[in-house]
Amino acid sequence: MRKELSLFILAIAIFGVVASGCISGENTSTTQTQTQTQSTMASSTSKSEKTTTNVVIYGYGSEMITLDPSTEFSNSIVVLANVYECLVKYTPEGLKPWLATSWESNENGTVWTFHLRKGVKFHTGNTMTAEDVKWSVERTIRMGLGPAFIWDPVKKIEVVDNYTIKFYLKYPANLPLIASSAYGAYIMDSKYLSKIGDDKAIAKWFNEGHDAGTGPYMIDKYNPKTEIVLKKFNDYWGGWSDDQFDLAVIKIVPDASLREQMVTSGEIQITRDLPLDDIPKLKDNPNVKVDKTPSYQELYAFFNTKKKPLNNKLVRQALSYAVPYKDIVDYVLHGYGEVAKGPIPKGMLGYFEDMKTYTYNIDKAKQLLAQAGYPNGGFKLVLTYTQGDQAEAKVAEIIKAEWKKLGIDVEIRPMNWEQQWALAKSDPTKAQDILMMYWWPTYPTPYDFLFNMFHCEKEINFNLCYYCNDEFDKAIDEAVTLEGINPEKAADLYKKAEQMLIEDAPAIFFYNPDDVYVYHKSITGFKDNPGYPQVVFFYELHKA
Amino acid sequence: MKFREYVIYRLVLAVFVIIGVVTVVFFISRVIPSDPAALWVGAHPTPEAIEKAREQLHLNDPLLKQFGYYLWSLLHGDLGVSIRTHNPVAADLKSAFTATFELILVAEFLAIIVGIPLGVYSAVKKDSWLDNLSRIFAISGVSLPAFWFGIVLQLIFFKHLGLLPLAGRVGTVVMLEHPLHVITGFYLLDSLITGNFPVFVDALKHLILPAVTLAMYPVGLITRQVRSMMIEVLNENYIRTAWAYGLPPKKIYFKYALKNAIAPALITVGLSFAYTLIGAFLVELIFNWPGLGRYAAYAIMSMDYPAVLGVTIIAATAYVFINLIVDLIQVRLDPRIKL
Repeated sequence: MRKELSLFILAIAIFGVVASGCISGENTSTTQTQTQTQSTMASSTSKSEKTTTNVVIYGYGSEMITLDPSTEFSNSIVVLANVYECLVKYTPEGLKPWLATSWESNENGTVWTFHLRKGVKFHTGNTMTAEDVKWSVERTIRMGLGPAFIWDPVKKIEVVDNYTIKFYLKYPANLPLIASSAYGAYIMDSKYLSKIGDDKAIAKWFNEGHDAGTGPYMIDKYNPKTEIVLKKFNDYWGGWSDDQFDLAVIKIVPDASLREQMVTSGEIQITRDLPLDDIPKLKDNPNVKVDKTPSYQELYAFFNTKKKPLNNKLVRQALSYAVPYKDIVDYVLHGYGEVAKGPIPKGMLGYFEDMKTYTYNIDKAKQLLAQAGYPNGGFKLVLTYTQGDQAEAKVAEIIKAEWKKLGIDVEIRPMNWEQQWALAKSDPTKAQDILMMYWWPTYPTPYDFLFNMFHCEKEINFNLCYYCNDEFDKAIDEAVTLEGINPEKAADLYKKAEQMLIEDAPAIFFYNPDDVYVYHKSITGFKDNPGYPQVVFFYELHKA
Repeated sequence: MKFREYVIYRLVLAVFVIIGVVTVVFFISRVIPSDPAALWVGAHPTPEAIEKAREQLHLNDPLLKQFGYYLWSLLHGDLGVSIRTHNPVAADLKSAFTATFELILVAEFLAIIVGIPLGVYSAVKKDSWLDNLSRIFAISGVSLPAFWFGIVLQLIFFKHLGLLPLAGRVGTVVMLEHPLHVITGFYLLDSLITGNFPVFVDALKHLILPAVTLAMYPVGLITRQVRSMMIEVLNENYIRTAWAYGLPPKKIYFKYALKNAIAPALITVGLSFAYTLIGAFLVELIFNWPGLGRYAAYAIMSMDYPAVLGVTIIAATAYVFINLIVDLIQVRLDPRIKL
């Protein structure tokens, strides 16, 4: 016993001596990491990192899921959008050339021709040609998962020559917009990937942390739970300047307050989704800058239009008048958002500044309720929202308090999303009365919102208000075919459809939250692009 | 019972315990209304995608058949695929487990080397200022919330003194400059083996605050238990005899008395070890430690049942093994305890 104990202590002692020797010996790199974390980046660049570590770090709150560009439909686009490129880039100012330099269509928008950029190299060394585009899109369609449905309109893809490609469509569609999608529209190196094996083998290869893209950065290290290191692709077609970053790291930090600490101290350079309460304080902090941009997200509350009393349009309209829209944005979002004007978020096609929507008017609400036959309310509604979502919780509480004034009792039930959804998809007469949900588009088209949430469905998917209106369906189905060739007419049709929705009030349209990014003063050039949610395009960032 | 027979007997029992736990957790997690297929396909799926997922995950089969599938793959060492992350559960668990285990090992080590001597000397100098101070210390360790304490340590040592890092297992920049070849998953061990001293030192620095935070609870327990047992033992006749023989005090305390007093404290260490494996969730969140607690919390919140089952198996196995080891150590130390 004694011998064992003394041996153990001896081992500790040796350990301690070795460790302390190391600590004092390796002063240089460790103190530098230390000063870097507490002092500002500007003063430390001179004495800290060796010339190789010119790095920008994005503090992100959720883990990565998959890295397969054909099937990824979640937050890994944060990586993919930097490592791969699409034919077209969506910006709020319009569609811009990316891997395609120009495009045109025939008169009715059923044949689209794209002219590709010359001299684009993949990270593997191969040159990008039209064959790669055809292979990438066909693989996505073939695998049929996640965002594959965006290519539904495509009938045939024809390689005209190395830099010209033609898409033949089953029906007219806005193909350039589809080709700019953040999900499922990335171009991969077909020569390299087809040698690996079948689709599943390729997917496995991707998820091991490899990529076959043309983007400015390549995947260097892939740890989906902790960090993803991207390193600069020297032969990127866009070229490089000295003040851009050699390395970009996506660091997974789930705790928002921790991310806040890290960005103010300079340990990370950019982050988002910080507690909104702290934003005013951060605005005054000289070490960081706050960027606010409207996102394409919207919060809805769907009425169960198949159950009494919500099957009565007047009741739904009354309730829509009993929502304090502006107060909700001020209180729940601390002003970082906009009151919704209908089902389409601000900044997108299909948003109309002059749309007449419901405003807070309790008297009108009471009047409509009385007209409907419920002068003092007298009924109970079950409302479900996603457990853990603070904003939804607050909105639900506000609604409950407001509708109490009308004599309506609201039972709030936080539920896990899958359960909530399963309940709503089951028998409408047994489902909840109100379901709160966010929506955001796969690519920025109003059809994504209107079709998924309000198009008549025999088997319920996301039309959780069970709305069924033939005229509405006809209008939006026609509008989407005109988006590419006659945007003005498409807009008119969308407006007509949205007005129907507002009149029938199958849902409450609450607000569009802003994207709020906070970044350290040592970087510059950041501009949020709502078409690529949560993506930071590292290529656009420069040292300040 | 002889030693070897006893160990085998305990191991066999362990297998039954683990199977029992897995069965219960499997049926509970599948009975709770939720839709794993929806979790699998991600946001905004088409009904066809969900149906496809349902086929893939055998969700249309009867529950007993699904349980059969699970047990079968378990026997082949396959813990399934996480429905949330689409990664094999075994791989997810390995990295999470080694991260947490490293943290707990260091924390328990700190708790033992501080708690035992403190407990002994409090008992010896009973009711002195040292004793009262250590009792306050012990109570605080057990009662103060770990997440509060962790944040306070961060405030003092990172924000104000700038001595230690804020969070994480190792600095991003240090890892970029000196890439670590991961063998076991224990950064301290791997960096020593590969001679990567910058990472070793950095990992050690990152370990200090979370380990101290995690050690607060066991150190409190150990100090109190060692103290109370020592007080009892020190009053025994054989100790009085030792004093009469003129044996040196240190020898009496640590060789004769402590050996008999240490048993309950060891049991506590054993149990707290297994408990902290998953209870470390809040500490892991504050220090951004990619460990088992965090993984378990996310798995449970999204009803990711293969991951929940994987975590359950780890937890049950840990409890069973650590308890076995602790029982065996007790026997070594105190011959009065019979197997």
